[in-house]
Amino acid sequence: MNWTQSMRQRVSEKLTWDHLLPSEQPVYVSSLVYSFGVFTLSSLVICIASGIIMSAYGPTWYQDSAAGSLLRGVHFWSVQAFFFFMTMHLVGQFFMGSWREGRALTWVIGAVSFGISVIEAFTGYLSRGDFFSQWNQVQSKDAFNGAGIDGFLNILNNGQVYGLHIAVLPIILIGLVGWHLIAVRSKGVVPPYQARVLTKEGRHS
Amino acid sequence: MKPIRFSRDTLQFPQKDFDMVKEGVVSLGILTVLIVAAAAIWGAPFRPAVTNQQVALQNPIGIGQEVLGDLDGQGGIASYGPPYNNGWHGQAQSVQSFLGFSPQTWWGTPYQVNTAQADVLTPLQMLATASHDSALTAALHTYKTASYTQQQAWTSAMTNALGKATVRNGQVLLPPGHYGPVALMVNDEINLAKSGLLSGALDRETNGGVYRWNVQNDLLFLQGQVLPNIANNINMAGGQWGINHDEQAYPGPWWLTPYTFLYQIPPWSTGATGDQTAAYAMGLLFVLLILVPWIPGLNKLPKLLPVHRAIWRDWYRHLEKTNACGQCPLLASCTKEFRGHTSDQQQSTETVPSCYQPDATFAYNMNDGLRSPSMRPLRTSTD
Repeated sequence: MNWTQSMRQRVSEKLTWDHLLPSEQPVYVSSLVYSFGVFTLSSLVICIASGIIMSAYGPTWYQDSAAGSLLRGVHFWSVQAFFFFMTMHLVGQFFMGSWREGRALTWVIGAVSFGISVIEAFTGYLSRGDFFSQWNQVQSKDAFNGAGIDGFLNILNNGQVYGLHIAVLPIILIGLVGWHLIAVRSKGVVPPYQARVLTKEGRHS
Repeated sequence: MKPIRFSRDTLQFPQKDFDMVKEGVVSLGILTVLIVAAAAIWGAPFRPAVTNQQVALQNPIGIGQEVLGDLDGQGGIASYGPPYNNGWHGQAQSVQSFLGFSPQTWWGTPYQVNTAQADVLTPLQMLATASHDSALTAALHTYKTASYTQQQAWTSAMTNALGKATVRNGQVLLPPGHYGPVALMVNDEINLAKSGLLSGALDRETNGGVYRWNVQNDLLFLQGQVLPNIANNINMAGGQWGINHDEQAYPGPWWLTPYTFLYQIPPWSTGATGDQTAAYAMGLLFVLLILVPWIPGLNKLPKLLPVHRAIWRDWYRHLEKTNACGQCPLLASCTKEFRGHTSDQQQSTETVPSCYQPDATFAYNMNDGLRSPSMRPLRTSTD
């Protein structure tokens, strides 16, 4: 079997341009709930953009300078927006049963992305370099210990925590979100549940 | 012959115009404006970190108590256990074990913290060397060469004395007592902290070089009483929903609410293994979230709840008005959410669900640019 040929065939079947960059969508896509996904993604873009600028200048810049403080504010509020829209997206997708008809993997990737985002945000709070970081570092060491993680992740080691926050976890998160998007596009938006059917007596069942 | 498995194809439903790129760009633009405005108006929370120097200047007795706890093994880290040490003289106090399950111990003691050495004796030895302080050098020698019983007698007397000590002009005044070399040692470490050099001495130990990535010992030095007292005053202690809220009126990491909630109720708020069981309780809930598509009952819950009818109200209004589902040749499969199999082997691959059909009434209701779908045959596959 030619792996390259097989991969090319599989990708071209699963990911047509109609799937990846659709210019049409099913008429049942007609609710504010559908906007939460794109708002989540937009917030993530702002998180990443502000984070790149902050890491380029370094911690003392975003702690001490006026411009750095503004960027820290942008990063802070984009994280709040990201979690708000991600939570709304998750809740909305639950009520739509969006794992149906071959979309379970999409749900799983999304849920794992949520979990990674929580850890990513936590390492960010610890990288703020203020009392909140200081206090939660010493507090969370017991929690991480209880979970059996502290022996690997020394939560009091800023080098490790900062590296996880600006490189390791974002790469994993971006990979998961990209996979999630491809999964959504390749399967299409989940069709609605069956409508009520009119009985012979004229009632909806 | 294998049964046919149906799958509804979203591209075959009636379609309307959609510009995904424009939607993304507009969304990004709106959120950028809102977020930058929020940052400009409200800024972001930031309370400067607490330093040993600040604490020593404001509360020298507090520093003295931390020093003694580290020296006599009464401090939390001195007797903590893995991954920092094996406890004080083999007695570990903070090892969490639930029904014999204790992953905390699996890693051994990679961080090796002997608080007496790391937090007191080493920094004081550095101070004595740097300042040619012969009295401090002698005090350290006396302490190190004394018996453990003698050391404990000195530190015990000193601990009691600090409880009655007063501060005058920044100096800690002790009642008369037999403190041996410990009084000088504690006093000198308070002065070292006041100078601002104690943090440097502690950081040096966990880095082994020029760079200061690891602030472990510096943070652990204050974690006994000083940091909890400050956190308690601003409602950030664990029992006060700790990490869940941030400074002042700023929103905190509210997404940790389910986790923080556990710390407010027994057994997590009272048990010795609260951290461990809270972590694994959350881990279990997270696994449940991931596995929702396969959990019987939970995966059918959204079908029973009416919320989806509000989300897709326009669609349902159309289908119910036209009774499209009642006339649908695939009605039986639809009730199985298109997950089931059909035994109807005569099912034509050209049979399409009624909801694929465009309808003028629907176009009017949706008030949108309705397009006729390309009527490709219903996708079928065998499994």
